[in-house]
Amino acid sequence: MEEIVFDVFARKNRGDPLSHVGYLSALDAELARVYAWKTYDEENWFEMCIVPRSQIIPVNRTDGPFAKASVAEGSGGRSSSGSRTKATRGRRGKRGGGS
Amino acid sequence: MTKTIEGLTAESTEVQAAFRRLLLGLADTKRLLGIRYSDWLLGAPSIEGGIATSSMAQDEWGHARLLYAALKDFGDDPLVLEHEREAAEYASWDPLDRPLPDWAHLIAGVVVVDGALALALEGILEGGYEPLGGRVGKMLGEEEFHQALGAAWFQRLSAGEGEGHQRLQEAVETMLAPTVRCMAPGDDAHERLADRGLILPSSTLRYRLAERLDPLLERVGAQVPTESTLDNDWDARRGRGIGHPEEEAVVRARGDQNRALFVE
Repeated sequence: MEEIVFDVFARKNRGDPLSHVGYLSALDAELARVYAWKTYDEENWFEMCIVPRSQIIPVNRTDGPFAKASVAEGSGGRSSSGSRTKATRGRRGKRGGGS
Repeated sequence: MTKTIEGLTAESTEVQAAFRRLLLGLADTKRLLGIRYSDWLLGAPSIEGGIATSSMAQDEWGHARLLYAALKDFGDDPLVLEHEREAAEYASWDPLDRPLPDWAHLIAGVVVVDGALALALEGILEGGYEPLGGRVGKMLGEEEFHQALGAAWFQRLSAGEGEGHQRLQEAVETMLAPTVRCMAPGDDAHERLADRGLILPSSTLRYRLAERLDPLLERVGAQVPTESTLDNDWDARRGRGIGHPEEEAVVRARGDQNRALFVE
């Protein structure tokens, strides 16, 4: 079975804009749901959702991450939160950043 | 009875001791489960799986702490419970006495042991013992994700007849009966609490566990046992089988190696 790339979106408070907080690889949507909640748990999110990358339609670019292959390569994705590392993300930070 | 600490204090010493046994068993099991999860932070089949396992280990340790703290109401010193007991005093459930040797055993542990722990907590929540209500509700919210992960991996490993299926089957066979016996022993202490409406009767717990887990367990030819035997290997004082977790895990649970640096 191939793993699928899911993008993770979340908002801290009701009414906040939904922000892209990272991405991950999982075998199916149910595992992706758990992985998202357990990986990107540095905030007390009001709402989090995941979207298969293959379902995102690029609008103005053909070279952005959402226009690339949606099947996981190698050992999985990386957080979009840049260079934050496990050590800098506090008690519950678990995802190494950067790519 | 009034389901407060005052109400419980007014109960017989047998009822109080039975409730203490239940809470200590759950606390110790969660502490050991956290250690067993932590063994697979690295070496999981995927990075995401390892991260999720790390998070679940933290959850279990947090739950254990809350339960140890609750035992203060029974005259216990949580510091002693957490850091100064011998392995033979641990009331953790038998299947966690030894490390989980591979990912299949970890998944069986999530589904069977963690699932049964969650159900035991639901029983306490339904019993309505006030001092634990908020704490147990929070724990069960976190447990929802443990069970979702367990179910998804269980389905994946049990698909087909490969090595994953075989290892999972072996793990379930090893864990299921002793776990159910600890969750719902049906012995005097357990039924005493059920009679007082503080927890669910063993028969109800087993029925609910079967309803929840059998659709998964049937994939490896197993089902929740409807009865248990409390033979000579049952330790009624601790609410588990005779024996105890291996010393190395208890050394880690107590934090022996860093006691000189202890901060509380």
